[in-house]
Amino acid sequence: MDNPTGVLSREQKKKIIPYLLIAPVVIYYILFWLLPVVRAISGSFMSAPADEGGVFTFGNYTALFKDPVFYQALFNTAFIVLISVTLEFVLAFGLALLINMKFHGSGMFLFLALIPMSLPAVAVGAMWTSGLSTYGWLNSFLIRIGILNAADKIIFLGGGHFAKMFLIIIVDAWQVIPSVMVILLSGMQALQPEMMEAGYVFGGSRFKVLRKITIPLLKPTITTAMILRIIAAIQIWLIIVMLFGYNRLPVLLEQIVLNVDKYTGSEAFFRKGMALSVVVSLIVSCVSFLYLKVSGAFDEPAGKGV
Amino acid sequence: MKKSILLLIAFIFVFSFISVGIFASGGQEKTSDDGPVKLVVSSRLYSQPGEQQFLIDEIFPDFEAENNCVVMFEILEDEPLLKRAKFQKESERINTDVVIAHAGMMSDWIDNDYVMPLPVEQWTDRTFSKAFRGSTTKDGKTYFAPVGGDVYLMLANKKALPYLPEGADINNITWEEYIDWAVNIASGEGEGKCAVTGVPQKSLIYMYGGMFLSYGGEFPVINSPGAMEAWSLLAKMKDAYTPTVNTYENVSSPMKSGEAWLTVAHMVRCGEVYKSNPSGYVLAPAPKGPEGIGSIAGASGFAVVNGAPNEELAIKFVKYMTDPEVAVTIARGTGGFIPPIDEAIEKLGDSTEDEIIAQGINVLKNGVVAGVPSSEYTSWGAVKQVYDDAFQELILKKGAIDKTYLDEAQARIDALKK
Amino acid sequence: MGSIRRGVFRSVRKTTLYIVVAGIAMALIFPMFFLFTFSLMSDYESYSEWPKPLLPRIKVEFRLTPIESVDGSYKMEIWNNSEKGFTPFGPEENTRANKSLRKLSNFIRNYSNCFISEKELSEIMDSVDQNGAETFILKKKVFNNYTRFFTLYSGAAQSVLNSLATAAMTVFLSLSIGGLAGYAFARYIFKGKNVLKLSVLFVRMFPPVAIALPMVIILGKIGLYDKPVGLSLIYSVNQVSLSIWITASVFMGIPESLEEASQVFGASKIGAFFRITLPLAVPGLAACAMYSFIYSWNEVINALILTQFNPTFPVVVYRSLLGANAQVHLIAAGSVAQALPAIIFTLFIRKYILQMWGGVKV
Repeated sequence: MDNPTGVLSREQKKKIIPYLLIAPVVIYYILFWLLPVVRAISGSFMSAPADEGGVFTFGNYTALFKDPVFYQALFNTAFIVLISVTLEFVLAFGLALLINMKFHGSGMFLFLALIPMSLPAVAVGAMWTSGLSTYGWLNSFLIRIGILNAADKIIFLGGGHFAKMFLIIIVDAWQVIPSVMVILLSGMQALQPEMMEAGYVFGGSRFKVLRKITIPLLKPTITTAMILRIIAAIQIWLIIVMLFGYNRLPVLLEQIVLNVDKYTGSEAFFRKGMALSVVVSLIVSCVSFLYLKVSGAFDEPAGKGV
Repeated sequence: MKKSILLLIAFIFVFSFISVGIFASGGQEKTSDDGPVKLVVSSRLYSQPGEQQFLIDEIFPDFEAENNCVVMFEILEDEPLLKRAKFQKESERINTDVVIAHAGMMSDWIDNDYVMPLPVEQWTDRTFSKAFRGSTTKDGKTYFAPVGGDVYLMLANKKALPYLPEGADINNITWEEYIDWAVNIASGEGEGKCAVTGVPQKSLIYMYGGMFLSYGGEFPVINSPGAMEAWSLLAKMKDAYTPTVNTYENVSSPMKSGEAWLTVAHMVRCGEVYKSNPSGYVLAPAPKGPEGIGSIAGASGFAVVNGAPNEELAIKFVKYMTDPEVAVTIARGTGGFIPPIDEAIEKLGDSTEDEIIAQGINVLKNGVVAGVPSSEYTSWGAVKQVYDDAFQELILKKGAIDKTYLDEAQARIDALKK
Repeated sequence: MGSIRRGVFRSVRKTTLYIVVAGIAMALIFPMFFLFTFSLMSDYESYSEWPKPLLPRIKVEFRLTPIESVDGSYKMEIWNNSEKGFTPFGPEENTRANKSLRKLSNFIRNYSNCFISEKELSEIMDSVDQNGAETFILKKKVFNNYTRFFTLYSGAAQSVLNSLATAAMTVFLSLSIGGLAGYAFARYIFKGKNVLKLSVLFVRMFPPVAIALPMVIILGKIGLYDKPVGLSLIYSVNQVSLSIWITASVFMGIPESLEEASQVFGASKIGAFFRITLPLAVPGLAACAMYSFIYSWNEVINALILTQFNPTFPVVVYRSLLGANAQVHLIAAGSVAQALPAIIFTLFIRKYILQMWGGVKV
């Protein structure tokens, strides 16, 4: 390597290093991920598989855009994402700050806060369906501690459209707040306490230090936490299906699953599902791009986070 | 320094597990080459642990001894079963020999060539019940040998009995009386107590379809004169269903917890509830209409996978399992299903202790029964959805019947026809 | 005076802090507490009482009474807490016939998690003949739902190993190749960086349900069917992209000047990375490891298709719960059993997420 007549100069080597570091990921994704995605995208523009006489068509997309359920799903998803991401971020940030105070017992508290995110879907489903049903444990608890009369149980699952959405937002928040919190917390850990101390020394109030020092320092982490959360929130579906079933509170991902996995056997539904997948990924990437642009993540100087 | 040591330990830990993983799977593969032939059976049926144990202890050994093989039995739901078939076919690594699929999914298996025709005409000692031909056959060839037939029964909590309309006999109840009963309960208790599987993509279509049959309708026509008569009765049920009926995936949970008191449901679901407290519930045949008791008969079916590693053995296995004698033993040993083989039903006769099977056979013999014609439609799931939408729109939302809505619904069903 | 006031103020603040913490902890634990309670209940407890009990019972009270109209037959009853009385339980009529005794004994075992032999039952019937009615208390097997689960599924232990192997490989894969790329994104400026970084994110954007099956088919063609390696390759697709973003953001938060400083003191670039940057990044890496582990441990949809005789633990739980329709106590036990290893893992990893010893002093 230290051969002066080496093929690469030091400058060139420095240029190549990042590509070398990223290469394994790129190879891995090309092998396992790219082909299915390309197939799904091209499949959404075909009427049937090519070897069965399929031709190029926009039919799958027009069928999708003519479907009123698609617009309901779009609205519901947007509504849920907007509220849940805001709510989850605020609560997760508060929780992370709280834990980062490193009070006596904060380690235990962190552990408790992490449990919801480590639960499998079957546990979450069992927990909430048995809890929120009219004769479930939530009503039982409220009656037993005397808040409710046995006669006026709350019918949690029987609410209207927006009641259902808020229920989903709460249940979802319960599970995903920890995952947002962990990213923020791990970012806070890497910060140098001296920075904040300096803020206090110069007479900053707690809130001012938070706003002027902590948050700007945390910006890359916040961006990451938010972008990952937004992407995941747009793809919410399983908990909705577990509580309300398919098609009762349509959201985008649930409609894909419905078309691809439930309406099996029909080429038209399958391809509509593929078209919807493409549309969803476009929506997600537009939202993420906008978010990253607005938050200024693209102009971040490399390695100069401080 | 402490941290890097811990990190090192963590990495050793990870590596040891990686090697465990590779060796564990490697070891398994070696053993599969020698010893008796493994016949892989993947099934949606017999998911109760006791049922599997019964098959492994009492049914498989004879077959295994005769053919020097081992039956590997595993259970899965219909959907992953079908996905795995696709996966195995496309990656050209088929290792499943026999599948048991539900009638509603059989067309998917047949249309995609995942399964092969069975030589049923050679099996002269058995007659598969006619009700299931619509789903098990295609173009005159039989692909599935039916097993585990089911019909719909009525189940009531004993607390509901005081509300039974005067003159009604539970074991011979009409749909009018049933609906009056449900309405009585609702007005008496202040909340609806009747249950159906209100969540889409489940069995609502069969519950309502059975009722339409008893009014002279045909399955799955949603707006036939008989069906219209049934709909106009059902419209009274708006508040007779429980407030959260459209979140029920199955009726057994609400029936067990006392949230619901009355239902007409799949016999296995009824059985689960009834068996959990025999002195708390009444089990009866489904209500009847002018044409008698109507019920959709579902079934699962055995099929041999196209390209199965042990094709001949697999066919032998299906033949063995659907032998009337064996079918009777299976029906007695596993809970809640009717053997859909005429000779087996005869042999089972009235000797059955199991009240649920006895009621089911009664409906199958004396009722107006239709199978699931899933093979006539491109997507049976989409047909189900039409019924689910109509239920939501007409019963739960409006509580009134809308002829134009139902005509449009029928047009949607017709559009799905092959 | 001032110091006392400050002391009071501080203790008030401390108390408020702990009240807030306790409140949040309650809200977090509350639903899980009920899930756990259900897992310790019998079928009868979890369905036949309203309002539902908040704690599982340890002892169950039964009563056996003769049926007047039919000679030699008895009625079994069980104590119902919410109705404050005995309610019918089991078959409507029980006799001394062996079959009937066995049915009753099985019923008591299956629906109340209590054990009583046929002989004991017939002895109780004897004393009912003498005394009119007999009340007796049985001890409930509290962990019956769990033992039932592990005795029925003999492959459960092997499947736990398979799951652990899969999870370990997923963690390794996503941390190693993800971490490398994350470091590159954080430390270097190069052409196409933003495009690459976004495309990595795009992997998470494309709905996985639409491509899961084709992805699995590729693996099948390579021959990675029914092997933990194959599963972890599928699971890592999502996790690598997550790890890249998390590690990149964490590395960005660590000033490069720290590395440069140590290089001034003679450390090599790689040495500086391992001595300075990596320890600071441990919380972020731990978080990534936790995400990968939990995802891999809980995944079931792909595992159902990609495994057959070497199932992962969630697949075993899934199969066992297929037959547990409307038996919420069994579902609860299965899901708690499945969640436990992941919870233990978080207990272990939380130390690295929250570094109690504070940031590394330079």
